[in-house]
Amino acid sequence: MVQNRRRFLEGASAVGLAGIAGCVGGFGDEGDAAYQVGMVYATGGTGDDSFNDMAQQGARDARDEFDLSFDETEPDNEGQFEGAQRDFAESGDYDLINCIGYAQAGALSENAPDYPDQNFIIVDEVVEEDNVRSYTFGEPEGSFQVGHLAGLLTDREFAAGAGETNPDASTVGFVGGTETPLIQSFEAGFRAGVEYANDDAEVVSSYVGDFNDTGQGQSTARSMYQNNDADIVFHAAGRTGIGVFQAAQDEGRFALGVDDDQSLSNESFADVILASMVKRVDSAVYNAIESVVNGNFEGGESETLGLEEDGVGAVYGDQLGDEIPQEIKDQLEESRQAIIDGEISVPSEL
Amino acid sequence: MSNRFESLLERLAGLSVLDRIVISLAALLAAVLVGGVLVFVSGAFASCRSGLQLGGTTFCYNPMQVYYELFLGALGHPLEGGWSLTNYSLGRTLQQTTLLIFAGLSVAVAFRAGLLNIGTQGQLVVGGLATAVTVVYAASIVPGGFVGTVVLIPLGVLAGAVGGGLYGAIPGALKAYADANEVITTIMLNIIAAGITSTLLSWQFQDPDSSNPETRPVPEYAEIPNIPVIGFEEVNFSLLALAFAVVLMIGMAWLLARTSFGYELRTSGEQPGAAAYGGVDEKRMTVASMTLSGALGGIGGAFWVLMVHGQWLENVPSLGFDGIAVSVLAGNSPIGVGAAAFLFGVFQSGSQSISTATSVPKELVGVLTGLIILFVAMPEFFRLIGRRYVAPGTTEPVRTDGGDPAVDDGGDGDA
Repeated sequence: MVQNRRRFLEGASAVGLAGIAGCVGGFGDEGDAAYQVGMVYATGGTGDDSFNDMAQQGARDARDEFDLSFDETEPDNEGQFEGAQRDFAESGDYDLINCIGYAQAGALSENAPDYPDQNFIIVDEVVEEDNVRSYTFGEPEGSFQVGHLAGLLTDREFAAGAGETNPDASTVGFVGGTETPLIQSFEAGFRAGVEYANDDAEVVSSYVGDFNDTGQGQSTARSMYQNNDADIVFHAAGRTGIGVFQAAQDEGRFALGVDDDQSLSNESFADVILASMVKRVDSAVYNAIESVVNGNFEGGESETLGLEEDGVGAVYGDQLGDEIPQEIKDQLEESRQAIIDGEISVPSEL
Repeated sequence: MSNRFESLLERLAGLSVLDRIVISLAALLAAVLVGGVLVFVSGAFASCRSGLQLGGTTFCYNPMQVYYELFLGALGHPLEGGWSLTNYSLGRTLQQTTLLIFAGLSVAVAFRAGLLNIGTQGQLVVGGLATAVTVVYAASIVPGGFVGTVVLIPLGVLAGAVGGGLYGAIPGALKAYADANEVITTIMLNIIAAGITSTLLSWQFQDPDSSNPETRPVPEYAEIPNIPVIGFEEVNFSLLALAFAVVLMIGMAWLLARTSFGYELRTSGEQPGAAAYGGVDEKRMTVASMTLSGALGGIGGAFWVLMVHGQWLENVPSLGFDGIAVSVLAGNSPIGVGAAAFLFGVFQSGSQSISTATSVPKELVGVLTGLIILFVAMPEFFRLIGRRYVAPGTTEPVRTDGGDPAVDDGGDGDA
């Protein structure tokens, strides 16, 4: 008993001493880098294999390149954005605060004027303040590309991986997260792309109302595959879209990913993902950090990263990409160039 | 064994205030020690640039730093230079404290009446929406400026109280007249509240200029104003709101201890049979205490709208559920709710400081604060159970035993 107690005391004091030593040594502090960046993620947080993870990747790339450290917060809901942004701004330690996602725009327009010396960026929305640089993406252009692909494929007999098209019907589907202008612009571009490829093709669309409801995504997509004879479904629905992939696998049809190359980030579905409409959120974050490090950050401006800037684009699936016929890829390349040259104008509203 | 347990319960039930404070502090210390070891060990599984090398393993998290940020970060680092009383972090702490006082009072009042109101969250959600909608629509009639402030804020708080109160009355009535267990009905009504408000929002009240699910903002002059000069300018916190919360807290303590209504409420909770025998209308009392509880929750929602956001958001933070923990920690005493709410405010605000100052994940911070609550609440919890099953008779003599009448005064005459 006595022995035990002594051993416990020794152990406890060892930990205690280590703690004190650590305090003096300041371990756990990562504030010794020349530049500090704060990241406020969109709700859903990191680990979404998509939007937030792309943003984090951008910050990581920048950390590998420059003498930089970054701190992150992951608000659980819209009400926490304002506080999260202020926490970073108030400390005054950060050279740049990255606000990821359109839902932060309201909070940022309130905060930015209160901290005129603090640099901010916002992704996916425009905030007109002198210290905010806004990055938006040409989602309709990118969606047009995958729509073009879907429109070309739905009419043919095409089988690859775990999926095949239904040559009897030319129907493709779109599953959206919430019915907001941004997500609707995905659909608008997608529809235009399908129509460009194939006048007769039909597009069925549905909004789940949630970016985090895999089950609902699955049942929505399944009904498109089964009841509407859709053979390719594009989603712009975050984690809900995982359900679309599940449904595609169950039904032996195809799906199109969004935000990053989902055939890589969700490898188990690579056998049904034809392509993904990527949004290079990582390059937006990286570029912003780079400009801060180089001292040429320009607030008060907004930058749209479209097809021309490689901000968006269709990336073929890791497994299925090679099986897509070259003539279709050529047609996609042509329409891409035509959009860049302004010969095709892509609508951004339904 | 059961005798020993009973005597333990008896001892816990009869503890003095000083004993309880000492026990709570010891529990806090124990929780910090356990949590500290946990953080330290977790650090071995994280990757970092600068860590503590110990026996071939790198420990990334410094427990001292974590607790330093948790407790002192929430006050704005008073030991470092350039500290002012009205700093941002303290404002953030007091903002949460204010909201949690309302939520905690709501749960405490119901608990004292012998009702477990799990539905404070739903009452707060409904009350908050009622406030936002009322103020937004009333603002088009009422003149702006100072008059608007004086008219709209009380109106908004009243709307919140009415909305929350009516919503709280439902489980009260179900309990009184249909014998439905209030724990189950309030839990279910929380879900219904979230669904109904969300539907109402998208049907009618959504702000057309925003892509987030939220109502139109109330005019600036209808937000709870700051006291000029004193400070807290940069955070959505008003000392006036805190003062109101404290006044309400004292008012509730007075209501429970010094009025015949409070006496009837407490007796219904502690001795329902005796209360009924003494002429208390049990059914009406159940509805009344749940209405009061709901109204307090609704006021919490009103302040969340009028002080923090200036509008109602669909995602309401879990203030109502935290209120349950606040109330249990406070032993359901209205004055204790103030202290417990401050502790919770420190945790909320300190967690923010940790997440900006260290790389400790927020889930781990949640574990640390959870440990503290668990350790501190456990003796309180047993004390509550103890009071249910054994009479603490000896320490609090009633008037017939020649005790101090002020201790357990009340409406003997009215009852």
